[in-house]
Amino acid sequence: MRLKTYFNVWKIFGFNAIQENLVNRGSNILFMIGKVLRFSFSLIFLFLIKNTVSSFAGYTSAQMIVFFLTYQFIDLISQIFYRGTYVFSNEVRLGSFDAYLTKPINPLFRALTGKPDINDAIFMIPSLAVSFYIFNNLDISVTWLSLVWYLILVTNGLLIITAINILILSIGILTTETEGIIWIYRDLSSMGRFPIGMYMQPLRFVLFFIIPIGMMITIPTEVLLGVKPSFSIFVTILVGVGSLIASLKFWNWALKKYSGVGS
Amino acid sequence: MSLTVWTVIFTSNNSAFGYSKESMITYIFLVAFLQSMIIASSLNGLASRLYSGEISNYLLKPINLFGLFAIQEIADKIKNLLFLFLESLFLFLIFKPIIVFPDLKLFLLFLIWSFGGLILNFIITLLFGSLGFWSPQVWGPKFLFFMILDFTAGKLFPLDILPIMLQKIIYLTPFPYLSFVQIQLFLNRLNSQDILKHTVILVFWIFILGTITNKIWKKGLKSYESVGI
Repeated sequence: MRLKTYFNVWKIFGFNAIQENLVNRGSNILFMIGKVLRFSFSLIFLFLIKNTVSSFAGYTSAQMIVFFLTYQFIDLISQIFYRGTYVFSNEVRLGSFDAYLTKPINPLFRALTGKPDINDAIFMIPSLAVSFYIFNNLDISVTWLSLVWYLILVTNGLLIITAINILILSIGILTTETEGIIWIYRDLSSMGRFPIGMYMQPLRFVLFFIIPIGMMITIPTEVLLGVKPSFSIFVTILVGVGSLIASLKFWNWALKKYSGVGS
Repeated sequence: MSLTVWTVIFTSNNSAFGYSKESMITYIFLVAFLQSMIIASSLNGLASRLYSGEISNYLLKPINLFGLFAIQEIADKIKNLLFLFLESLFLFLIFKPIIVFPDLKLFLLFLIWSFGGLILNFIITLLFGSLGFWSPQVWGPKFLFFMILDFTAGKLFPLDILPIMLQKIIYLTPFPYLSFVQIQLFLNRLNSQDILKHTVILVFWIFILGTITNKIWKKGLKSYESVGI
Protein backbone atom coordinates (compact mmCIF):
# COMPACT_ATOMS: atom_id res chain seq x y z
CA MET A 1 0.00 0.00 0.00
CA ARG A 2 2.78 2.41 1.05
CA LEU A 3 4.81 1.30 -1.98
CA LYS A 4 1.87 2.16 -4.24
CA THR A 5 1.68 5.64 -2.71
CA TYR A 6 5.38 6.21 -3.40
CA PHE A 7 4.98 4.92 -6.94
CA ASN A 8 2.11 7.36 -7.50
CA VAL A 9 4.18 10.22 -6.10
CA TRP A 10 7.09 9.28 -8.38
CA LYS A 11 4.68 9.24 -11.34
CA ILE A 12 3.82 12.85 -10.52
CA PHE A 13 7.55 13.72 -10.48
CA GLY A 14 7.83 12.02 -13.87
CA PHE A 15 4.88 13.90 -15.38
CA ASN A 16 6.27 17.19 -14.07
CA ALA A 17 9.64 16.41 -15.64
CA ILE A 18 7.97 15.55 -18.98
CA GLN A 19 6.07 18.85 -18.94
CA GLU A 20 9.29 20.71 -18.20
CA ASN A 21 10.99 18.94 -21.08
CA LEU A 22 8.18 19.81 -23.46
CA VAL A 23 8.50 23.49 -22.56
CA ASN A 24 12.25 23.43 -23.32
CA ARG A 25 12.03 21.29 -26.46
CA GLY A 26 14.89 22.93 -28.36
CA SER A 27 17.41 22.58 -25.56
CA ASN A 28 16.36 19.01 -24.90
CA ILE A 29 16.77 17.97 -28.52
CA LEU A 30 20.32 19.36 -28.52
CA PHE A 31 20.97 17.60 -25.21
CA MET A 32 19.81 14.33 -26.77
CA ILE A 33 22.04 14.83 -29.82
CA GLY A 34 24.95 15.41 -27.43
CA LYS A 35 24.21 12.13 -25.65
CA VAL A 36 24.02 10.23 -28.94
CA LEU A 37 27.31 11.74 -30.11
CA ARG A 38 29.09 10.85 -26.87
CA PHE A 39 27.85 7.26 -27.04
CA SER A 40 28.75 6.97 -30.74
CA PHE A 41 32.26 8.44 -30.33
CA SER A 42 32.99 6.19 -27.35
CA LEU A 43 31.92 3.16 -29.38
CA ILE A 44 33.99 4.26 -32.38
CA PHE A 45 37.04 4.56 -30.12
CA LEU A 46 36.45 1.12 -28.60
CA PHE A 47 35.98 -0.49 -32.00
CA LEU A 48 39.15 1.19 -33.24
CA ILE A 49 41.02 -0.37 -30.31
CA LYS A 50 39.28 -3.69 -30.96
CA ASN A 51 40.44 -3.70 -34.57
CA THR A 52 44.02 -2.69 -33.73
CA VAL A 53 44.86 -4.31 -30.41
CA SER A 54 44.17 -8.01 -29.75
CA SER A 55 44.26 -7.91 -25.95
CA PHE A 56 43.81 -5.18 -23.37
CA ALA A 57 44.88 -5.57 -19.73
CA GLY A 58 44.35 -9.33 -19.98
CA TYR A 59 40.95 -9.08 -21.64
CA THR A 60 40.07 -9.56 -25.28
CA SER A 61 38.99 -6.43 -27.13
CA ALA A 62 35.46 -7.84 -27.41
CA GLN A 63 35.29 -8.31 -23.64
CA MET A 64 36.40 -4.72 -23.17
CA ILE A 65 33.38 -3.50 -25.08
CA VAL A 66 31.12 -5.36 -22.63
CA PHE A 67 32.69 -3.39 -19.77
CA PHE A 68 31.76 -0.18 -21.57
CA LEU A 69 28.19 -1.34 -22.27
CA THR A 70 27.68 -2.26 -18.60
CA TYR A 71 29.03 1.15 -17.57
CA GLN A 72 26.69 2.84 -20.04
CA PHE A 73 23.65 0.97 -18.69
CA ILE A 74 24.36 1.53 -14.98
CA ASP A 75 25.27 5.17 -15.53
CA LEU A 76 22.05 5.81 -17.47
CA ILE A 77 19.89 4.22 -14.76
CA SER A 78 21.55 6.44 -12.20
CA GLN A 79 20.98 9.53 -14.35
CA ILE A 80 17.33 8.67 -14.97
CA PHE A 81 16.37 8.15 -11.34
CA TYR A 82 18.81 10.18 -9.28
CA ARG A 83 19.13 13.44 -11.19
CA GLY A 84 17.76 15.24 -8.12
CA THR A 85 21.16 14.84 -6.46
CA TYR A 86 22.60 17.43 -8.87
CA VAL A 87 20.32 20.23 -7.70
CA PHE A 88 19.82 19.23 -4.08
CA SER A 89 22.43 21.51 -2.51
CA ASN A 90 20.75 24.45 -4.22
CA GLU A 91 17.41 23.41 -2.70
CA VAL A 92 19.04 23.32 0.73
CA ARG A 93 20.50 26.81 0.16
CA LEU A 94 17.18 28.22 -1.06
CA GLY A 95 15.23 26.58 1.73
CA SER A 96 13.07 24.41 -0.54
CA PHE A 97 14.18 21.39 1.44
CA ASP A 98 12.23 22.73 4.43
CA ALA A 99 9.06 22.06 2.46
CA TYR A 100 10.10 18.45 1.78
CA LEU A 101 10.35 17.84 5.50
CA THR A 102 6.77 18.90 6.12
CA LYS A 103 5.32 16.49 3.53
CA PRO A 104 4.04 13.01 4.49
CA ILE A 105 6.64 11.25 2.34
CA ASN A 106 10.20 10.39 3.13
CA PRO A 107 12.38 13.49 2.40
CA LEU A 108 15.17 11.24 1.16
CA PHE A 109 12.84 9.77 -1.45
CA ARG A 110 11.89 13.24 -2.61
CA ALA A 111 15.48 14.54 -2.66
CA LEU A 112 16.80 11.48 -4.46
CA THR A 113 14.10 10.81 -7.05
CA GLY A 114 12.29 14.16 -7.25
CA LYS A 115 13.74 15.12 -10.63
CA PRO A 116 13.80 12.14 -13.00
CA ASP A 117 15.76 12.78 -16.19
CA ILE A 118 13.37 12.24 -19.06
CA ASN A 119 16.06 12.81 -21.69
CA ASP A 120 18.06 9.90 -20.34
CA ALA A 121 14.92 7.78 -20.07
CA ILE A 122 14.26 8.36 -23.78
CA PHE A 123 17.92 7.82 -24.64
CA MET A 124 17.83 4.51 -22.76
CA ILE A 125 15.69 2.93 -25.53
CA PRO A 126 18.11 3.35 -28.50
CA SER A 127 21.07 2.85 -26.17
CA LEU A 128 19.76 -0.53 -25.01
CA ALA A 129 18.87 -1.56 -28.56
CA VAL A 130 22.36 -0.72 -29.84
CA SER A 131 23.96 -2.40 -26.82
CA PHE A 132 22.04 -5.65 -27.40
CA TYR A 133 22.90 -5.57 -31.10
CA ILE A 134 26.61 -5.07 -30.38
CA PHE A 135 26.58 -7.67 -27.62
CA ASN A 136 25.01 -10.27 -29.93
CA ASN A 137 27.69 -9.66 -32.56
CA LEU A 138 30.67 -9.89 -30.21
CA ASP A 139 32.84 -12.96 -30.09
CA ILE A 140 32.02 -13.93 -26.51
CA SER A 141 30.13 -16.80 -24.89
CA VAL A 142 27.74 -16.33 -22.01
CA THR A 143 25.96 -19.00 -19.95
CA TRP A 144 22.53 -18.66 -18.38
CA LEU A 145 24.07 -18.96 -14.93
CA SER A 146 26.55 -16.15 -15.54
CA LEU A 147 23.71 -14.03 -16.93
CA VAL A 148 21.65 -14.54 -13.76
CA TRP A 149 24.66 -13.63 -11.57
CA TYR A 150 25.29 -10.63 -13.80
CA LEU A 151 21.75 -9.36 -13.22
CA ILE A 152 22.07 -9.91 -9.46
CA LEU A 153 25.39 -8.05 -9.39
CA VAL A 154 24.10 -5.21 -11.58
CA THR A 155 21.24 -4.84 -9.07
CA ASN A 156 23.90 -4.78 -6.35
CA GLY A 157 25.67 -2.08 -8.41
CA LEU A 158 22.47 -0.04 -8.36
CA LEU A 159 22.48 -0.31 -4.56
CA ILE A 160 26.00 1.13 -4.58
CA ILE A 161 24.95 3.97 -6.88
CA THR A 162 22.01 4.68 -4.57
CA ALA A 163 24.40 4.73 -1.60
CA ILE A 164 26.77 7.15 -3.34
CA ASN A 165 23.89 9.48 -4.21
CA ILE A 166 22.61 9.37 -0.61
CA LEU A 167 26.13 10.20 0.55
CA ILE A 168 26.24 13.22 -1.78
CA LEU A 169 22.81 14.39 -0.55
CA SER A 170 23.97 14.09 3.06
CA ILE A 171 27.06 16.16 2.27
CA GLY A 172 24.68 18.65 0.63
CA ILE A 173 22.83 19.00 3.94
CA LEU A 174 26.02 19.44 5.92
CA THR A 175 27.88 21.79 3.58
CA THR A 176 25.19 23.13 1.16
CA GLU A 177 27.76 22.71 -1.62
CA THR A 178 28.07 19.49 -3.64
CA GLU A 179 28.99 20.58 -7.15
CA GLY A 180 32.66 19.74 -6.68
CA ILE A 181 32.01 16.34 -5.17
CA ILE A 182 29.54 15.47 -7.94
CA TRP A 183 32.18 16.25 -10.58
CA ILE A 184 34.78 14.17 -8.75
CA TYR A 185 32.29 11.29 -8.63
CA ARG A 186 31.42 11.70 -12.33
CA ASP A 187 35.12 11.68 -13.25
CA LEU A 188 35.84 8.64 -11.11
CA SER A 189 32.78 6.73 -12.32
CA SER A 190 33.79 7.32 -15.95
CA MET A 191 36.91 5.29 -15.18
CA GLY A 192 34.55 2.31 -14.97
CA ARG A 193 34.31 2.34 -18.77
CA PHE A 194 37.42 0.17 -18.59
CA PRO A 195 38.17 -2.74 -16.21
CA ILE A 196 39.32 -1.26 -12.90
CA GLY A 197 42.08 -3.88 -12.62
CA MET A 198 44.10 -1.96 -15.22
CA TYR A 199 44.59 1.08 -12.96
CA MET A 200 47.58 1.37 -10.64
CA GLN A 201 47.43 1.03 -6.87
CA PRO A 202 46.26 2.84 -4.73
CA LEU A 203 43.75 4.13 -7.31
CA ARG A 204 42.58 0.55 -7.91
CA PHE A 205 41.88 0.10 -4.19
CA VAL A 206 39.98 3.41 -4.09
CA LEU A 207 37.87 2.37 -7.08
CA PHE A 208 37.01 -0.98 -5.52
CA PHE A 209 36.44 -0.05 -1.89
CA ILE A 210 36.21 3.71 -1.27
CA ILE A 211 34.11 4.77 -4.28
CA PRO A 212 33.27 1.20 -5.34
CA ILE A 213 32.95 1.75 -9.10
CA GLY A 214 34.73 -1.59 -9.62
CA MET A 215 32.10 -3.45 -7.59
CA MET A 216 29.38 -1.70 -9.62
CA ILE A 217 30.72 -2.35 -13.11
CA THR A 218 33.89 -4.45 -13.30
CA ILE A 219 32.82 -7.43 -11.12
CA PRO A 220 29.37 -7.96 -12.77
CA THR A 221 31.00 -7.82 -16.21
CA GLU A 222 33.78 -10.23 -15.22
CA VAL A 223 31.16 -12.69 -13.92
CA LEU A 224 29.12 -12.34 -17.13
CA LEU A 225 32.20 -13.02 -19.25
CA GLY A 226 33.15 -16.08 -17.19
CA VAL A 227 36.42 -14.44 -16.09
CA LYS A 228 37.62 -14.96 -12.50
CA PRO A 229 36.27 -11.85 -10.71
CA SER A 230 38.75 -9.44 -9.09
CA PHE A 231 36.90 -9.98 -5.77
CA SER A 232 34.43 -12.68 -4.74
CA ILE A 233 30.69 -12.25 -5.26
CA PHE A 234 30.26 -12.40 -1.48
CA VAL A 235 32.60 -9.41 -0.97
CA THR A 236 30.87 -7.53 -3.80
CA ILE A 237 27.40 -8.01 -2.30
CA LEU A 238 28.77 -7.18 1.15
CA VAL A 239 30.13 -3.87 -0.19
CA GLY A 240 26.79 -3.16 -1.96
CA VAL A 241 24.53 -3.82 1.01
CA GLY A 242 27.04 -2.41 3.50
CA SER A 243 27.44 0.87 1.60
CA LEU A 244 23.67 1.33 1.41
CA ILE A 245 23.21 0.74 5.15
CA ALA A 246 26.14 3.05 5.97
CA SER A 247 24.83 5.80 3.66
CA LEU A 248 21.33 5.62 5.22
CA LYS A 249 22.85 5.95 8.69
CA PHE A 250 24.91 8.92 7.48
CA TRP A 251 21.80 10.54 5.97
CA ASN A 252 19.87 10.17 9.24
CA TRP A 253 22.80 11.70 11.12
CA ALA A 254 23.13 14.57 8.61
CA LEU A 255 19.38 15.22 8.77
CA LYS A 256 19.67 15.83 12.51
CA LYS A 257 22.31 18.50 11.78
CA TYR A 258 20.05 20.29 9.28
CA SER A 259 18.91 23.75 10.16
CA GLY A 260 16.20 25.25 7.96
CA VAL A 261 16.25 28.76 6.65
CA GLY A 262 12.61 29.36 7.53
CA SER A 263 11.35 29.63 3.95
CA MET B 1 42.24 7.61 -17.42
CA SER B 2 43.58 8.35 -20.92
CA LEU B 3 47.15 7.89 -19.71
CA THR B 4 46.31 4.50 -18.20
CA VAL B 5 44.35 3.37 -21.26
CA TRP B 6 47.18 4.21 -23.63
CA THR B 7 49.87 2.85 -21.30
CA VAL B 8 47.96 -0.45 -21.19
CA ILE B 9 47.59 -0.51 -24.98
CA PHE B 10 51.33 0.04 -25.39
CA THR B 11 52.37 -2.66 -22.90
CA SER B 12 51.81 -5.31 -25.55
CA ASN B 13 52.48 -3.15 -28.63
CA ASN B 14 55.50 -1.05 -29.55
CA SER B 15 53.41 1.12 -31.81
CA ALA B 16 49.70 1.53 -32.48
CA PHE B 17 47.69 3.79 -34.79
CA GLY B 18 50.96 5.14 -36.21
CA TYR B 19 52.15 6.42 -32.83
CA SER B 20 55.08 5.16 -30.77
CA LYS B 21 54.52 4.81 -27.03
CA GLU B 22 56.60 7.94 -26.34
CA SER B 23 54.71 10.12 -28.81
CA MET B 24 51.32 8.90 -27.59
CA ILE B 25 52.15 9.55 -23.93
CA THR B 26 53.53 12.98 -24.92
CA TYR B 27 50.28 13.55 -26.81
CA ILE B 28 48.12 12.68 -23.80
CA PHE B 29 50.17 14.87 -21.47
CA LEU B 30 50.04 17.80 -23.86
CA VAL B 31 46.35 17.44 -24.62
CA ALA B 32 45.53 17.49 -20.90
CA PHE B 33 47.73 20.54 -20.48
CA LEU B 34 46.41 22.44 -23.50
CA GLN B 35 42.78 21.62 -22.82
CA SER B 36 43.08 22.92 -19.28
CA MET B 37 44.79 26.04 -20.54
CA ILE B 38 42.79 26.67 -23.70
CA ILE B 39 39.34 25.15 -23.21
CA ALA B 40 38.71 25.62 -19.48
CA SER B 41 37.07 29.04 -19.25
CA SER B 42 35.73 31.35 -16.58
CA LEU B 43 33.11 32.54 -19.07
CA ASN B 44 31.09 29.31 -19.21
CA GLY B 45 28.36 30.91 -17.12
CA LEU B 46 28.27 34.02 -19.30
CA ALA B 47 24.86 33.30 -20.85
CA SER B 48 23.13 33.09 -17.49
CA ARG B 49 24.94 36.27 -16.37
CA LEU B 50 23.50 38.00 -19.44
CA TYR B 51 19.98 36.65 -19.06
CA SER B 52 19.84 37.43 -15.34
CA GLY B 53 20.85 41.04 -16.01
CA GLU B 54 24.08 40.70 -14.02
CA ILE B 55 26.12 42.45 -16.70
CA SER B 56 24.06 45.66 -16.42
CA ASN B 57 26.45 46.74 -13.70
CA TYR B 58 29.41 46.46 -16.08
CA LEU B 59 27.59 48.18 -18.93
CA LEU B 60 27.16 51.29 -16.80
CA LYS B 61 30.88 51.56 -16.19
CA PRO B 62 33.34 53.21 -18.58
CA ILE B 63 35.04 49.92 -19.42
CA ASN B 64 35.16 47.74 -22.50
CA LEU B 65 33.08 44.62 -21.86
CA PHE B 66 35.23 42.32 -24.03
CA GLY B 67 38.33 43.74 -22.33
CA LEU B 68 36.84 42.90 -18.94
CA PHE B 69 36.02 39.35 -20.04
CA ALA B 70 39.53 38.97 -21.44
CA ILE B 71 41.07 40.06 -18.12
CA GLN B 72 38.82 37.65 -16.20
CA GLU B 73 39.86 34.91 -18.60
CA ILE B 74 43.58 35.65 -18.20
CA ALA B 75 43.24 35.63 -14.40
CA ASP B 76 41.47 32.28 -14.60
CA LYS B 77 44.21 30.84 -16.85
CA ILE B 78 46.92 31.93 -14.41
CA LYS B 79 45.04 30.22 -11.60
CA ASN B 80 44.65 27.07 -13.75
CA LEU B 81 48.35 27.10 -14.54
CA LEU B 82 49.27 26.65 -10.89
CA PHE B 83 46.94 23.67 -10.41
CA LEU B 84 47.96 22.28 -13.76
CA PHE B 85 51.61 22.40 -12.80
CA LEU B 86 50.95 20.43 -9.60
CA GLU B 87 48.71 17.93 -11.39
CA SER B 88 51.21 17.42 -14.23
CA LEU B 89 54.05 16.96 -11.74
CA PHE B 90 52.03 14.31 -9.92
CA LEU B 91 51.23 12.41 -13.13
CA PHE B 92 54.77 12.86 -14.36
CA LEU B 93 56.15 11.19 -11.24
CA ILE B 94 53.71 8.29 -11.59
CA PHE B 95 54.01 7.60 -15.33
CA LYS B 96 57.57 8.91 -15.86
CA PRO B 97 56.91 9.66 -19.53
CA ILE B 98 59.68 10.46 -22.00
CA ILE B 99 58.50 13.72 -23.57
CA VAL B 100 60.16 14.44 -26.89
CA PHE B 101 60.56 18.20 -27.41
CA PRO B 102 60.65 19.74 -30.91
CA ASP B 103 63.39 22.17 -32.03
CA LEU B 104 63.20 25.79 -30.88
CA LYS B 105 61.59 27.08 -34.10
CA LEU B 106 58.73 24.59 -33.93
CA PHE B 107 58.36 25.13 -30.20
CA LEU B 108 57.92 28.88 -30.71
CA LEU B 109 55.36 28.25 -33.42
CA PHE B 110 53.63 25.80 -31.08
CA LEU B 111 53.35 28.57 -28.47
CA ILE B 112 51.94 30.98 -31.09
CA TRP B 113 49.39 28.41 -32.28
CA SER B 114 48.44 27.67 -28.66
CA PHE B 115 47.85 31.37 -28.13
CA GLY B 116 45.75 31.34 -31.31
CA GLY B 117 43.75 28.40 -29.90
CA LEU B 118 43.20 30.39 -26.72
CA ILE B 119 41.81 33.34 -28.66
CA LEU B 120 39.65 31.02 -30.75
CA ASN B 121 38.17 29.41 -27.64
CA PHE B 122 37.56 32.84 -26.10
CA ILE B 123 35.61 33.87 -29.20
CA ILE B 124 33.60 30.62 -29.28
CA THR B 125 32.76 31.01 -25.57
CA LEU B 126 31.57 34.58 -26.19
CA LEU B 127 29.50 33.35 -29.13
CA PHE B 128 27.78 30.72 -26.97
CA GLY B 129 27.42 33.22 -24.15
CA SER B 130 25.55 35.58 -26.47
CA LEU B 131 22.64 33.10 -26.49
CA GLY B 132 21.85 34.55 -23.06
CA PHE B 133 20.63 37.76 -24.73
CA TRP B 134 17.62 35.93 -26.07
CA SER B 135 17.03 32.74 -24.06
CA PRO B 136 17.63 31.29 -20.60
CA GLN B 137 17.78 27.80 -22.15
CA VAL B 138 21.47 27.63 -22.92
CA TRP B 139 22.40 24.34 -21.25
CA GLY B 140 21.27 22.26 -24.26
CA PRO B 141 23.58 23.94 -26.81
CA LYS B 142 26.35 24.09 -24.20
CA PHE B 143 26.09 20.38 -23.43
CA LEU B 144 26.17 19.56 -27.14
CA PHE B 145 29.16 21.86 -27.61
CA PHE B 146 31.11 20.19 -24.80
CA MET B 147 30.26 16.72 -26.10
CA ILE B 148 31.49 17.63 -29.58
CA LEU B 149 34.55 19.30 -28.12
CA ASP B 150 35.42 16.29 -25.98
CA PHE B 151 36.03 14.21 -29.07
CA THR B 152 36.79 16.63 -31.87
CA ALA B 153 39.55 18.45 -29.97
CA GLY B 154 41.27 15.08 -29.44
CA LYS B 155 40.92 14.76 -25.66
CA LEU B 156 40.73 10.97 -25.35
CA PHE B 157 42.50 9.99 -28.56
CA PRO B 158 44.29 11.70 -31.45
CA LEU B 159 41.95 12.52 -34.31
CA ASP B 160 44.20 10.94 -36.93
CA ILE B 161 43.35 7.45 -35.66
CA LEU B 162 39.76 7.98 -36.84
CA PRO B 163 38.51 6.92 -40.27
CA ILE B 164 39.51 9.44 -42.99
CA MET B 165 35.89 10.40 -43.71
CA LEU B 166 35.29 11.33 -40.06
CA GLN B 167 38.55 13.27 -39.92
CA LYS B 168 37.51 15.29 -42.97
CA ILE B 169 34.20 16.20 -41.31
CA ILE B 170 35.93 17.20 -38.06
CA TYR B 171 38.41 19.39 -39.97
CA LEU B 172 35.48 21.39 -41.33
CA THR B 173 34.95 22.66 -37.77
CA PRO B 174 37.25 24.93 -35.70
CA PHE B 175 37.57 22.35 -32.90
CA PRO B 176 40.82 20.60 -33.99
CA TYR B 177 42.43 24.05 -33.73
CA LEU B 178 41.76 24.17 -30.00
CA SER B 179 44.56 21.71 -29.19
CA PHE B 180 44.88 18.85 -31.68
CA VAL B 181 46.83 20.59 -34.46
CA GLN B 182 49.07 22.30 -31.89
CA ILE B 183 50.10 18.90 -30.53
CA GLN B 184 50.66 17.51 -34.02
CA LEU B 185 53.09 20.39 -34.52
CA PHE B 186 54.80 19.69 -31.20
CA LEU B 187 55.20 16.02 -32.12
CA ASN B 188 56.74 17.04 -35.46
CA ARG B 189 54.02 15.23 -37.42
CA LEU B 190 53.33 18.09 -39.84
CA ASN B 191 55.29 18.99 -42.96
CA SER B 192 55.88 22.62 -43.99
CA GLN B 193 52.85 22.57 -46.30
CA ASP B 194 50.58 21.38 -43.45
CA ILE B 195 52.04 24.02 -41.13
CA LEU B 196 51.23 26.78 -43.62
CA LYS B 197 47.74 25.38 -44.27
CA HIS B 198 46.86 25.09 -40.58
CA THR B 199 48.23 28.56 -39.81
CA VAL B 200 45.96 30.04 -42.49
CA ILE B 201 42.94 28.05 -41.28
CA LEU B 202 43.52 29.01 -37.63
CA VAL B 203 43.70 32.71 -38.57
CA PHE B 204 40.64 32.25 -40.81
CA TRP B 205 38.55 30.79 -37.94
CA ILE B 206 39.64 33.53 -35.55
CA PHE B 207 38.72 36.19 -38.10
CA ILE B 208 35.38 34.68 -39.20
CA LEU B 209 34.13 33.71 -35.74
CA GLY B 210 35.45 36.98 -34.30
CA THR B 211 33.47 38.98 -36.86
CA ILE B 212 30.29 36.93 -36.32
CA THR B 213 30.60 37.16 -32.53
CA ASN B 214 31.14 40.91 -32.68
CA LYS B 215 28.03 41.39 -34.85
CA ILE B 216 25.87 39.15 -32.66
CA TRP B 217 27.00 40.94 -29.49
CA LYS B 218 26.22 44.33 -31.01
CA LYS B 219 22.76 43.06 -31.94
CA GLY B 220 22.31 41.48 -28.52
CA LEU B 221 23.32 44.64 -26.66
CA LYS B 222 20.83 46.66 -28.73
CA SER B 223 17.99 44.38 -27.65
CA TYR B 224 19.26 44.03 -24.07
CA GLU B 225 16.90 45.22 -21.35
CA SER B 226 17.12 45.06 -17.58
CA VAL B 227 15.00 46.56 -14.86
CA GLY B 228 15.73 47.27 -11.20
CA ILE B 229 18.99 45.35 -11.04
